[in-house]
Amino acid sequence: MDLLEYQAKALFRDMGIPVLPSERIYHPKDLKGLTIPYPVVLKSQVPTGGRGKAGGIKFAENTIDAVAAAQTIFQLPIVGEYPEVVLAEAKYNADQEFYLAVVLDTGARRPLLLGSRVGGIDAEAAMEQMQLVVVDQEFSPFYARRLALKMGLQGGLIQAVSNIVQKMYQLFVQKDLDLVEINPLGVSATGQVMALDGKVTLNDDALGRHSDLVILATKNAHCRSSARDLSANAEPLRLVQLEGNIGLLCNGGALTMTTLDLIYKAGGMPANFVNVGGDAQAGWIPAAICSQIERGLELIAKDASVRVLLVNAIGSLVAGDRLAAAIASFWQRRSRDPQAGELQAIVRLVASDPDRAKALLESLPVTVVESLDEAVDRAISLAN
Amino acid sequence: MNFSPDSKVLVQGITEQLGAGYAALMKDYGTNVVAGVSPGHGGQQLEGIPIFDLVEEAAYRLGAIDTTIIFVPPYEVLDAALEAIAAGIPQIIIITPGMPPLDMVKLVRKAEATDTLVVGPNCPGIIVPGKVLLGTHPTQVYTPGAVGLISSTGTLTYEVAMELTNAGFGQSIGVGIGNDAIVGSSFPQWLQMLDEDEQTQAIVLVGETGGYGGEETAARYIAEAIDKPVVAYLAGQLAPQKRRRGHAGTLIATKLSAKETKPGINAIDFEPAARKIEAFKQGKIPLADRPSDLVKLLKKALKSASKK
Repeated sequence: MDLLEYQAKALFRDMGIPVLPSERIYHPKDLKGLTIPYPVVLKSQVPTGGRGKAGGIKFAENTIDAVAAAQTIFQLPIVGEYPEVVLAEAKYNADQEFYLAVVLDTGARRPLLLGSRVGGIDAEAAMEQMQLVVVDQEFSPFYARRLALKMGLQGGLIQAVSNIVQKMYQLFVQKDLDLVEINPLGVSATGQVMALDGKVTLNDDALGRHSDLVILATKNAHCRSSARDLSANAEPLRLVQLEGNIGLLCNGGALTMTTLDLIYKAGGMPANFVNVGGDAQAGWIPAAICSQIERGLELIAKDASVRVLLVNAIGSLVAGDRLAAAIASFWQRRSRDPQAGELQAIVRLVASDPDRAKALLESLPVTVVESLDEAVDRAISLAN
Repeated sequence: MNFSPDSKVLVQGITEQLGAGYAALMKDYGTNVVAGVSPGHGGQQLEGIPIFDLVEEAAYRLGAIDTTIIFVPPYEVLDAALEAIAAGIPQIIIITPGMPPLDMVKLVRKAEATDTLVVGPNCPGIIVPGKVLLGTHPTQVYTPGAVGLISSTGTLTYEVAMELTNAGFGQSIGVGIGNDAIVGSSFPQWLQMLDEDEQTQAIVLVGETGGYGGEETAARYIAEAIDKPVVAYLAGQLAPQKRRRGHAGTLIATKLSAKETKPGINAIDFEPAARKIEAFKQGKIPLADRPSDLVKLLKKALKSASKK
């Protein structure tokens, strides 16, 4: 998840990366007490790129202009997002604009330093001139200097830019980030450098050990709910809504996608699906998985467009009869609900103790099948 | 690699719920689980497996350990793996999901320097059917044979194993390499090992159209370097792509490596599915429509290989 610019810049400031004086504006009238001297830049704080082109960045020479500009920006959605905050920042006269970033190269399995002498909004031009340095061993500042030289920098700029890159790298590692980007890095006529815009992408898996970042993220509407889920360290059970009449409960991402693929290929349409997690997920233990399955089935069946329920699960640690019991418990509760509509079910379980599972399921109004192909075929013929 | 039935196996995190459950299943299958490690539980036993506080203690008492299987919580995995390397264990299998990628960067650096094989994280590990289970594979869907199964997926691996078994194709090995941003051992590494493995006649590769791009590299590697017949299945050909949780870095790096210069470093619209499928077509690697079709493709590939 991405932090907002002002949050990224707060992290930059703590790290010693130069940023301009700025103030957060929550309402246009806040500008009356602005302590930064004019002219200022007002920037919409939304978690998407392309703000400048969309009209989310405006210059103002005085308070009257600034209030009007802020009113416009607060009313302007960018890729569907309205800003909760507008950042008022001192104006900077850049002689040149560079692009700098630190990311993870999953192929090389190492962090990667990126730099281009063409920064700013023309990302295409930035890409063409992009220079790469793989940090293949323990980081040392020479990696940053190597990048500066590859970018074609000379004299004092080598040290100025590599200092920034070094601090970006420290931030990347200290906070376990997916991305630290400065675009543009303003370079003044005298060779001073300034982070004019910044982007920081958090790594979801690492958030649990960075409570400061969780607090930051929960301030943002766009990542509020997921940040809470992650900090609670529980994988939320998520229902994905589609547009057909077959509801699918499956375990594991790839198996879920495969089952959906087969439904589509046979001309069926899934209404929704829940992936209760692969068998190495922390939830795939007897105590937890049964309630996950029950809750998943309830979420799926709540959708009135679901006419057929398809369950496909494979695992080894949890015995088949435990899984079957969870399905039975869902079914019993449903049979007591007078509002519950008609629902057919196909169940395919691969687990230990298949005979006991089968015996349990046979007492329910569900069809038990052995193979995935058969499960999909039966579900589709019931759905039509 | 040493996955023989008598090789010594350690379970780190043996008192975790998954660790305890799978340690018992592995032992039942005949895996030589000599010890478990769980700090604070030294001196206890689980299913007759002695537990130690430190890996080096277990190694000292039981002799050189060949493989360790890690079940500790995600933020403790790096430490557990480094402890195993320090104790001289050459093969590490990480089952735990949710490990921060920068921890993996550190582990991979160390593993390369010490020539340690790392499988995972977030993977089902390895099974040599009829001989040894080093992970979470359900044993009943496997049977001994000559097909090497390599997969970046979890439960879909089992689905494919079951299709193969039901059609009479036993397996020489089943390997889940994991599907995280950074994994210890890659598709090419395993393709190479199975190409040289005498027990393996043909290879089945299972991956995803979404994810991190390991499948594309695998396709190129198969076309260039693998002599044995390979057939493949990729999940997510039509299903809506599950949204990857923020891995901006992957996208930028992939984009740069593909020398693409399309819009916005900030707003990359990256569609790997079509490119991955294309890579298999280009490499003339038969791609199955569904898991059960792998059997047909396998028969065909073995037939044309025997003619050569």
